[in-house]
Amino acid sequence: MSLLTVDQIVSGYGDMEVLHGVDLRVDPGEILTIIGPNGAGKSTLMKTIFGILTPTAGAIAFQDQDITGLSPDRVVRLGLAYVPQVENVFPSMTVRENLEMGAFVLRGDLRERISRVTELFPVLSKRWKTHVGNMSGGERQMVAMGRALMLDPQLLMLDEPSAALAPNLAATVFERIEAINESGLSILIVEQNAKDSLRLSDRGCVLAAGLKCFEDTGPNILANEDIGRLYLGGE
Amino acid sequence: MLSRIPQLLFYGLVSGSILALGGIGVSLTYSILRFSNFAHGDMMALGAYLTLALIPVAGTLGIPSAAIGPLSFGPRFIVAAVVGMACTFVIVVALDRLIFRRLRKAGRITLMITTIGIALSMRNALQFFWGPQPQYYTARIQLAIQVPRLAIRVKPDQLFVISVAVLLVALLHLFLRYTKTGKAMRATSDNPSLAQVTGINTERIILWTWVIGASLAALAGVLAGVENKFITPELGWQMLLSIFAAVILGGIGNPYGAILGGVIVGVSEEVSTAFISTGYKPAVAFGILVLMLLIRPTGLLGRRS
Amino acid sequence: MELFVGIINYLVFFAITAGTYGVLSLGLNLQWGYTGLFNIGVAAFYAVGAYASALVSGPPPDMWDGRLVGGFELPFILGILAAALAAGIIAFLIGIPTLRLRADYLAIATIGIAETIRMVLKNEAWLTNGVWGLQQLPSPFYDAIHRGATGFVQTHPDLSPWLRALVLKAYNWFYLFLVIAALFLLYLFLRRLAQSPWGRVLRAIREDEVVASMSGKNVFAFKLQALVLGAMIMGIGGAFYAHYARFISPTSFEPFYGTFIVWVMLILGGTGNNKGAILGAFVVWGTWAGTDFITGYLPLSPTQEASLRIIVIGILLVSILLVRPQGLLPEMRQRRRTPRTPE
Repeated sequence: MSLLTVDQIVSGYGDMEVLHGVDLRVDPGEILTIIGPNGAGKSTLMKTIFGILTPTAGAIAFQDQDITGLSPDRVVRLGLAYVPQVENVFPSMTVRENLEMGAFVLRGDLRERISRVTELFPVLSKRWKTHVGNMSGGERQMVAMGRALMLDPQLLMLDEPSAALAPNLAATVFERIEAINESGLSILIVEQNAKDSLRLSDRGCVLAAGLKCFEDTGPNILANEDIGRLYLGGE
Repeated sequence: MLSRIPQLLFYGLVSGSILALGGIGVSLTYSILRFSNFAHGDMMALGAYLTLALIPVAGTLGIPSAAIGPLSFGPRFIVAAVVGMACTFVIVVALDRLIFRRLRKAGRITLMITTIGIALSMRNALQFFWGPQPQYYTARIQLAIQVPRLAIRVKPDQLFVISVAVLLVALLHLFLRYTKTGKAMRATSDNPSLAQVTGINTERIILWTWVIGASLAALAGVLAGVENKFITPELGWQMLLSIFAAVILGGIGNPYGAILGGVIVGVSEEVSTAFISTGYKPAVAFGILVLMLLIRPTGLLGRRS
Repeated sequence: MELFVGIINYLVFFAITAGTYGVLSLGLNLQWGYTGLFNIGVAAFYAVGAYASALVSGPPPDMWDGRLVGGFELPFILGILAAALAAGIIAFLIGIPTLRLRADYLAIATIGIAETIRMVLKNEAWLTNGVWGLQQLPSPFYDAIHRGATGFVQTHPDLSPWLRALVLKAYNWFYLFLVIAALFLLYLFLRRLAQSPWGRVLRAIREDEVVASMSGKNVFAFKLQALVLGAMIMGIGGAFYAHYARFISPTSFEPFYGTFIVWVMLILGGTGNNKGAILGAFVVWGTWAGTDFITGYLPLSPTQEASLRIIVIGILLVSILLVRPQGLLPEMRQRRRTPRTPE
């Protein structure tokens, strides 16, 4: 049984259709990377799954429950977490407050969850009271992922987690992603320059011009010369 | 002329407290709903008039009107003011449901034009029921007390205005800093789309914004009535420019900036009367506004956007 | 028959006022409809135009006047030029600090300038005669036309009473002609502007400022030009008002009459459409006048009547925005607007 099923989804902004019927499946415990050129509809797909955009056709199911058209504050309660590509932190709030916001829908004590997140991202524990707006890009990405993990989700959706990061920072981020996955979480990643991401993915698929055009295991996609030339910047 | 300055500074502090309370609402609306509410001044006047209407109602409930200590008003007035604040936010929330909610996707400027329409209708509704002439909360006359060693005269009512403002600003600070809803409001103001992604129900936050903004506006209107000794339907509109100057000076969207800006604008306006005609008080606010737009449009405490 | 003549005379008077508002509405359409400039201080430019024209072509101060300057009794056309010039200068000064910033700032600054100008009109009696305002302003060719009309009536004693009544109001017909001519010329001018490359840049700025600036346009300069030109048109509207009313005072330029009703006119008529701007002026002024008749039958005091009428206009505005935001005559779009991809 798959965790997330996207079935023939059509979606876009206003009158402009971006996705023309996309299928997708995420299985429990796997990492799936979606690659594709700029403007292919990767972020649109993420936003549609999460309920920020409402699809005009098709269906989305999470753990066999229909979530098509559900608002984000409902989706988040079901165990999906989403880290947008940009503006994924609350800059004028402290690190701790950012993490607390991640668990907004929960009641009660958050200390245990916070300590679990800081085990994954130890740098954060030293900077509790720093306003996130004053932090570096890499640290912000940690805060953003930490915030998403506060809810203890089943599926973590990451939109270009390594974009705009220096190579060594990107490597750290992917190392963390792998660690998160080892704890049993499924992860859906969208990437434009996706070699690092595909390397640790179970599966990958290619999205181009609003349609899914290819799907295979991570290593196979990396080995595929056509895809390498077209979407991974060649060798 | 210069000998009057300590006294004017004190007056400025009083009117600055009122501007600050008004400005907080403008700032919150701006940061959460993302438009400038030009009806905010008239919400202040609405609160002032609802309080006026509620004073006799509180009287029929047997709440005593005898003045508290040296103040010019008693428990009856305070109860009327608190209920008046509640009635104001109920009306404002109803307007949000009826009008603003349907225009959330229509764009900021449409919303701002709408607030102008509401402002005008609200002001004239007050004028319709109560007339344009001044109305008085109390007929009691209060004598100012000379403060020893400082060259100022102070009325107990004025100290009351300042203390209420300080108290509410402190409460607001605690609310925004430590409560879950307060944090969610800051988060929504920081990054509305991410707030949605974390599961914050934006509509609920908007509701809270109106409740706080409208209550503080009503309170500001009532306190303006206490300080001026009378209210008119134009009360809020006349203060709107000063309030916006205060909000921009402090940094639009930042409630703490609104407080700082309110005090600065209030003091500048009062002190200016030592040098220029009182008729130009609002023009002083306008001067500050233009100066700020030229030098630092993000305001004193504003973030770069 | 007498009733009929009364109605005709009233309609002429009505059309002069509505036409004057049409000029203001056209000016606002250039700023808001074409360029997206959020000016809610129309009254500032309207008032400055009216006073400038009155000072240039009005009579010098008499013994009861508080004024020390002004009243040069120059021709009407020079008054109009002065009106446009003065309003344009004010717009230029207000545009400099605000047009680089978000729309809210221009809005607040224009409210501020409108209020400040009203304060100046009230307080600077040496220039404006304070709250008493400027009186006995000349209407162009009034004496000639009025003398002609009365002379005609006197030399034709056999005229029926209704024709007499009509002829005696000949001056209003002449002024209506002036207003309509001005409206027509402005309309042609603005239509040409809209179709010119300059007008296209303005629309591009309104649609998306970032894209417009990326295509190499100096957005600030274009916005400033539109603000100034629109304000000049509003100033001309002020001059037309002053020389018909023959009396102006600060109360004529309160936010409702000076700014708000103009916005309702443009939005109801059709933002971005010049014909709509003019149509809106007539429809809204008609509504305004109509509410006067209706509230007259209600058992209300005069101030209550006035308040009720303003509430009606306020509700009218909000209803249009909710139900038909594009107005009666929607803008004719050159091309369909496509949203930008956020990706």
